[in-house]
Amino acid sequence: MSGYEFHPLVKQLLDGDITLADLPPELRGEGEEALRLLAAVDRTDISMPAVTWRVMTTLERRRRRFLPWLLAPALAIAAALVIVLRPTAPAPSAALVTVRFVLVAPDAKQVSLAGTFNQWDAQVTPLVRTGATGVWTATLTLPAGQHQYAFVVDGVRWVPDPGAPAVDDGFGRRNSVLTL
Amino acid sequence: MRPGSQAADGEIVRAVLAGDRERYARLVERYRDRYARYAARMLGSADAAEDALQDAFVRAYDQLAQCKDPDNFIGWFFLILRNRCFAERRRNRTSASLDAANDVASDDRTDGGAESAERRRALQLALMELTPDQREVFVLKHMEGLSYTEIAERLSTSVPSLKMRMHRAYDKLREQLRDHT
Repeated sequence: MSGYEFHPLVKQLLDGDITLADLPPELRGEGEEALRLLAAVDRTDISMPAVTWRVMTTLERRRRRFLPWLLAPALAIAAALVIVLRPTAPAPSAALVTVRFVLVAPDAKQVSLAGTFNQWDAQVTPLVRTGATGVWTATLTLPAGQHQYAFVVDGVRWVPDPGAPAVDDGFGRRNSVLTL
Repeated sequence: MRPGSQAADGEIVRAVLAGDRERYARLVERYRDRYARYAARMLGSADAAEDALQDAFVRAYDQLAQCKDPDNFIGWFFLILRNRCFAERRRNRTSASLDAANDVASDDRTDGGAESAERRRALQLALMELTPDQREVFVLKHMEGLSYTEIAERLSTSVPSLKMRMHRAYDKLREQLRDHT
């Protein structure tokens, strides 16, 4: 016995089974002390937004061994990356390859892909933002061969992939080139 | 799924297992803050809590195929996080420092003034003097607002056993806080 044990009825009070008024008068003071203890409980919400980024980056880095783009300082459009993930089962006419497109664009509200593989339609291939860090990704399965594409930021800004070779499209714009 | 509605946990788990790895971020987003407070109170440090959460989510991802009930992903994840927090405390048996208590005790930004902020810090320090089992039941009941029955289900134990732990915790906290209450 340390001399600091709460009376069993006061423990019931702390458990919420009874109220202060249920305590006999001689235990009211001890009951009030117990309630002061509970009043000091800090129920403030804690937000850890960086956890999402840390988890997804860890998974991605481990899988790809090294992705310096994900660790680079966030810029408006910092970097983009195309990763060949895995060849899929060969199709009768052409082999298919799964590719991940990654763009770091922290300030973007939406990002999509437009290219030869979707008839340059910027509406049909959106990238998904992963976490709060501005990393946008899309995974596509494409036929082996050469494809041209660009990222479309917020529906208006066409951005070539700085991590891929580019060619002039003949209209003053640069298209990235992906050869699978 | 209707536009605007949120995918259920089980649906996301199954999609991730089928290869849509990026969707795992949705689960992390959904639960990271809910368990940030638990981890911070258990470990006495926001930094340690963030590390624990990250490790637990990565471990859960690695073991996702072993999640027998994808619709109860969060119950399964909680046990992984719990193990991580307990292991962390075993590695660092030293008592929490005042800095650690300051780290997780919220600032005096609400009513109550410096005195209540000091009481919060004192309680956080006192919590770190409890055994992890005692601290956990206190955190889950009085910080997370779970009932004894809910805690018993989550930890696969009995209500009387939890009450015994809690009542010992009350006595120990009273002793630790004798100068603050």
